[in-house]
Amino acid sequence: MIRVLLLAAGLLWTITIGAMYRAVRRFETTPGAAAAAHATWPDASTLSRPAGAWTLVTLIHPQCSCSRATIEELRAILEKAPPSVRALVLVYRPSDFPAGWENTEVVQAAYRLPRTHVVIDLDARETRLFGGFTSGQTFLYDGAGQLRFSGGVTALRGHAGLNRGVADVVRIAKSGVGNASHPVFGCAIVSHEEGARK
Amino acid sequence: MNSDTAARATELSSARLLERRSRVDRMFAVLLAVQYAAGIIGALTVSPYAWEGKVHVVHMHVWIAVVGGAGIVILPILMAIFRPGTLLTRHVIAASQMLSSALLIHLTGGRIETHFHVFGSLAFLAFYLDWQVILTATVVVAADHFLRGIFWPESVYGVANPEWWRFLEHAGWVVFEDVFLIWSCILGRREIESSATREAQIEQLSEQEQLKTAALQMALAEMQTAV
Repeated sequence: MIRVLLLAAGLLWTITIGAMYRAVRRFETTPGAAAAAHATWPDASTLSRPAGAWTLVTLIHPQCSCSRATIEELRAILEKAPPSVRALVLVYRPSDFPAGWENTEVVQAAYRLPRTHVVIDLDARETRLFGGFTSGQTFLYDGAGQLRFSGGVTALRGHAGLNRGVADVVRIAKSGVGNASHPVFGCAIVSHEEGARK
Repeated sequence: MNSDTAARATELSSARLLERRSRVDRMFAVLLAVQYAAGIIGALTVSPYAWEGKVHVVHMHVWIAVVGGAGIVILPILMAIFRPGTLLTRHVIAASQMLSSALLIHLTGGRIETHFHVFGSLAFLAFYLDWQVILTATVVVAADHFLRGIFWPESVYGVANPEWWRFLEHAGWVVFEDVFLIWSCILGRREIESSATREAQIEQLSEQEQLKTAALQMALAEMQTAV
C-alpha cells in the first residue's frame, strides 16, 4: 500500500514539475497587447508635454503586481538617461471605483521616482488616446513630440533586470537617434476589443 | 583492531548515521511543508489577482504556489514519513528542496535576494553528512539554469541572448559553497566513524574485562570449594 502511494506521489511529482515549468514559461513569456501608438504625441491629450524635452509616458494598472518590475526599470532608465528626460506615469482608475483604490505599493513606488509626474487616468481616457492596452506600456517621445520607443521595459512578466527595452530607451535618449519597440508584459488596462472601439 | 571490533564499529556508525539522517528527513519534511505554506501566503500577499481593467481573476502565481508547490513537496514528505533514512529519500528531498527554491525565486519575480534560499538549502542538506546529496542538489540547480537558459533565457539572465556558458558562472557560485560543504560532510562522517571505532574498542575491552572478572571469580569459587 505504502509502495503504491509512494509510486503515485513519484508520478505526480514528475508530472507536476514538467507541467509547472510549462505553465510558468507560458505565463511569463506571453506579452500583453502591443500598443496601437501614434507617431506623435496625441493632440487630444490633456497632458502637457514639456516643450523641447524628451518625455517618457508609462501606463500602469495599479493592481497589477507585475508592474512593480516596470517601476523598478523606469527608475533605472531615469538614472541612466540624460537629466533632461522627464517621465509621466498614468495610473488607471475606473470612475465608479472609490478614490484610493489605486493607491497601491506600485503607485507609491511611482511617486518616489525622480523627475516623474504621476497622473490618475480616470477610465483610461489618456491610455486610449496614447493607444495603449497593457500595464507597463512605455512610450518615449523626443523634444519634437515624435514617438521614438513603444513597448515594455521588462524582459518578462514581472521580471526586473537588464533587458533590451531599457537598453533601447536609454540608447535612444542618449544618442537622440533611432526608433525601437519591445514586447510589453503586464495586466490589461483596456481590452483589445475596448481599445478597438475607442 | 580485530575484525569483530571493525564490524561492530561499522554497525555503530551506520546506526548513528541512520538515526541522524532520519532526523534530518523529518526536519526537511517540516521545512518543505512550511515553505509550501510560505509560497502560498507570499503569492496571496504579493500577487493575488491578475487584472483586465476592472475585472480580476486569481493570479497564475497563486495556482502555481498551490498546485505546483503541492506537487513538489508531496513525494519528499511521504518518503520522509514512510522511508526515513534511505538513500533515495534524501536524494528526492535534495532535488525537491532545490525545486522549492526555484519556485520561490519565480514567485518573487526573480528577486536576487530569494537566490539566497539556494545557498541556505545547500547548507541544510549538508546535515545529512552525505556529499552525494550536495551533488544531486547542485545538478538540479545547474539543470534548471541550463534548461531555462536554452529555452527561456530572460527568466534567468534578464537578456534574451546570454553567452552559452553563463549557467556555468551561476553554478560556479554554488560549486564554491559545495567544496566546503562536501569537505565538512567528509569530516563529519569521519568523526562519527572514529567515535564509533572508539566505542567499539571500549566495548571490546569491557567485554574482555568482564570475561577476565568472570574467570577470576570462577577460580576464586573453585579455591574456596577446595579449601
